[in-house]
Amino acid sequence: MAQNDTIVLNEVIVSDTQLKKFSNTKYVSKLNDSIISRSNTSLTSLLNYNSTIYFKENGLGMVSSPSFRGTTAQQTAVIWNGININSQLNGLTDFNTINNGNYNEVTIRAGGGSAIYGSSAIGGSIHLSNALKFEKEFSNALQIRYGSFNTLSVNYALNASTERLSSQFSIVRNNSDNDYKYLNTNQKNQNGQFENTSANLSLGYKINPKNYLKFYSQVFDGLRHFSGTLAAASKSKYEDWNTRSLLEYANFTSKTTSNIRLAFLTESYKYFEDKNEVFFNYGKSETTIAKYDFSYQITDKITLNSLFDYTHTKGFGSDLKTTSRDIFSGILLMKHQLTSDFLYEINLRKEITSNYQSPYLFSFGTNYSLAKYYKIKMNVSKNFRIPTFNDLYWQQGGNPDLNPESALQFDVINEITTKNLVFTLTGFYNKIKDMISWKPNSNGLWQPINTNRVNTYGIETSLGYNKRLFHHHVVKLNLNYGYTISENQDTGKQLIYVPQHKLTSSVAYNYRKLTVFGSHLFNGAVFTSLDNYYRLKEYNVVNLGIEYQILKYCRMGFQVQNLANENYQAVIQRPLPGRNYILNFNFNL
Amino acid sequence: MNFKKLFFAAIIGSSLFTSCTDDDANETPLGNYDNGVLILNQGGFGYGNASLSYFSNDLSTFQNTIFSLVNPTITLGDTAQDIGFYTNLAYIVLNGSSKIEIVNRFTLAHVGTISEGLSNPRYIQFARGKAYVTNWGNGGSTTDDFVAVINLATNTVSSTIAVAEGPERIIEENDKLYVAHSGGFGYGNTISVINAATDALQTTIAVGDVPNSIEEEDGYLYVICGGKPFWTQDETLGKLVKIRLSNNTVTSTISFPEGQHPSNLVIENNSLYYTVDSGIYKKTLSANTLPATELFSISEQSEYDVYSFAVKNNKIFVGDAVDYSSNGKVYVYSLDGDLLANKTVGVIPAGFYFN
Repeated sequence: MAQNDTIVLNEVIVSDTQLKKFSNTKYVSKLNDSIISRSNTSLTSLLNYNSTIYFKENGLGMVSSPSFRGTTAQQTAVIWNGININSQLNGLTDFNTINNGNYNEVTIRAGGGSAIYGSSAIGGSIHLSNALKFEKEFSNALQIRYGSFNTLSVNYALNASTERLSSQFSIVRNNSDNDYKYLNTNQKNQNGQFENTSANLSLGYKINPKNYLKFYSQVFDGLRHFSGTLAAASKSKYEDWNTRSLLEYANFTSKTTSNIRLAFLTESYKYFEDKNEVFFNYGKSETTIAKYDFSYQITDKITLNSLFDYTHTKGFGSDLKTTSRDIFSGILLMKHQLTSDFLYEINLRKEITSNYQSPYLFSFGTNYSLAKYYKIKMNVSKNFRIPTFNDLYWQQGGNPDLNPESALQFDVINEITTKNLVFTLTGFYNKIKDMISWKPNSNGLWQPINTNRVNTYGIETSLGYNKRLFHHHVVKLNLNYGYTISENQDTGKQLIYVPQHKLTSSVAYNYRKLTVFGSHLFNGAVFTSLDNYYRLKEYNVVNLGIEYQILKYCRMGFQVQNLANENYQAVIQRPLPGRNYILNFNFNL
Repeated sequence: MNFKKLFFAAIIGSSLFTSCTDDDANETPLGNYDNGVLILNQGGFGYGNASLSYFSNDLSTFQNTIFSLVNPTITLGDTAQDIGFYTNLAYIVLNGSSKIEIVNRFTLAHVGTISEGLSNPRYIQFARGKAYVTNWGNGGSTTDDFVAVINLATNTVSSTIAVAEGPERIIEENDKLYVAHSGGFGYGNTISVINAATDALQTTIAVGDVPNSIEEEDGYLYVICGGKPFWTQDETLGKLVKIRLSNNTVTSTISFPEGQHPSNLVIENNSLYYTVDSGIYKKTLSANTLPATELFSISEQSEYDVYSFAVKNNKIFVGDAVDYSSNGKVYVYSLDGDLLANKTVGVIPAGFYFN
């Protein structure tokens, strides 16, 4: 709900400038710090309990992929400090390889954003940002969480900044035996142990009030044993090693902003079919991005922004034909505040690449304040998802003749904002064609082809309420509900793993040093086969927690997760944990 | 008349023995699932939804999910690959679960489980009172493939016989086991001969690429080799190879036309059947040439290819895996290709086993 044009705000600067400047006609929701700090450490858990996004989680901590507004896992983009970090190999982000503790802002931007953010921003995009402050500060924060199944999570963050120099460092370590019992059976989650370490370093230097130099970097090192299922034991393990670096120079004048960004991203995985053996399959990609971003405020009312982006990616692996691809993109964005109550935005994007035909992408949106408390936003956009390296070059089966998936989308957002309450009601319609799916061809070879047409449509609603009831008593309430139809136009069937209904709610009550909080997730039934014959039943999960400020610099908390001991699965044959407990200490120095 | 059938006949009695050879409806069924075919539905890999369907010989009774109906507390498992009948028992091999579930073949009542000593088990056969199960081991290793020998008194793996990569179909004849190495994740081109008296590898016979189905008839082994597919960039011809079992030598090889990759060999009543894509082909066993045209095609029933196939009791059975996610289909035809029945079964119908 960022309405403010200024990006140098209280000397806080971010790299993802378009998220603030060109998202006025979208539904945008920023998750606040207290929600992040009470969440489990993975992005899966944070978003699962605080948005309508559905997660297909292959058992706790295992591969986790989203479905946003009824779209596929590759149709949600994850944007790190303005850079799209979805895998070049499989096109998606595994949300269990992102630790919340490495970012100080997590924002959900619903609906199409390909014109700005490129591939995969069809269902929506998730923005992970490290906002840099240029003011005197020195703080240390340490969070230690220990819980059932020998699960330990340690998160240390250091912020040190002056008026000229800003730095952030964080490190997150997670490990778990993850051997929870499968409820109503005599089985355990076998071979499910995992550990990961991730670190983030962000540096900013204010050369002078007009010129800034910034550097962001991040590594993720993860080892997971892939857990078995109710019907099959597992002996496999999987290693992730991802690095991201971004160097940015920014120049501000009264009318213009120029940014030059250079980014280098690597991802690699190793899959060991048998953890006791030496052989493995692997895949790797290296991406170099050069971006020039120029923004010009023509008048008080009109802002123009152009971006030129060159992305070079090299992909290789044990099952991949070594290939590189170059993509040039030109982007033009305009925002016009026509009257004090009405603005519109236009986004245009065209990519040029030798590997496939790339369509013109656009977005046109309006934002109209009908009353002091009521605002209506409308947006129509064309978005895409480009074929991945696996789709194009997998040996055997990759299909070099694929075209991007494309989606024409329309949404209307009603927003009511009062002093204590924010309520939104969104209707969306998304017409997706050329969906890429892997199918056996007439020679028995599984190959990806552009095939399905899918229409997704539905309603999303959110409610945020925050009120100081009387002296020292504060209550916070959040609700999200999504109704989603995602229908294959050729078969008339709902896409698999897209629930029609999802509801999340959370409530926190604070009195002086004490906070009591609870959260609830209702996930409707999902189909697990294309003919919609097989399904997983709906589930409810309730978590309850308490936090107490035991010392000036120390908070202590205790949580019961899955209080009602619900026996549930997000993916068929893969039960998630029953009732479990977490103890946490947060030190702020 | 092989050893298996004789042994079985001796134990069960002659009434059932006749059920193997004719359609006499007056005999007394030995369970709900006698006098018909068990259809093995593989289920999706990782989905744990393997299942069994039953279709009576007269096509009057059809039933899905019969295993869970009889054994409601037991999950059959993940990725069913094969069923072997021995005495009055059925041994169901579950590749994904690396186990074998043992049930009464006529009632499906659960008897036991073999879960130790298997690694990517594929197909099962019986000789000298033992079971022989082909195993791929780890898919990434070309040297850990084996045939597990199972002691049927204790239902444990008593020994293993190391074999070449990708042991798949296995048949038994005169106390010898013939294992076709289709190659697992690679491409094999041999038949291993195992002596059941010693449980040792006796010899290896070279055949064409990717031997995917084998049958024995009158002292000869017939092998359909699919050939390497085009995407290997080393496409090879499909072959029908005939081997004299008395001296393990290849007596004839017929090559298929370029681009045709046959599978699903069945020999029944002196005719040899196989399938290519959606087409079903038939030749006289003794003919030296391949039929020029297909007997019929399943394309009127399906946009997909033949997945599994059987010929029995003057009927042709075809399993259609459709999109490998939805419930599959089974089509039953007369020997002339007239459609007699069309049923929706479980996910990926992988094989037909006649009771």
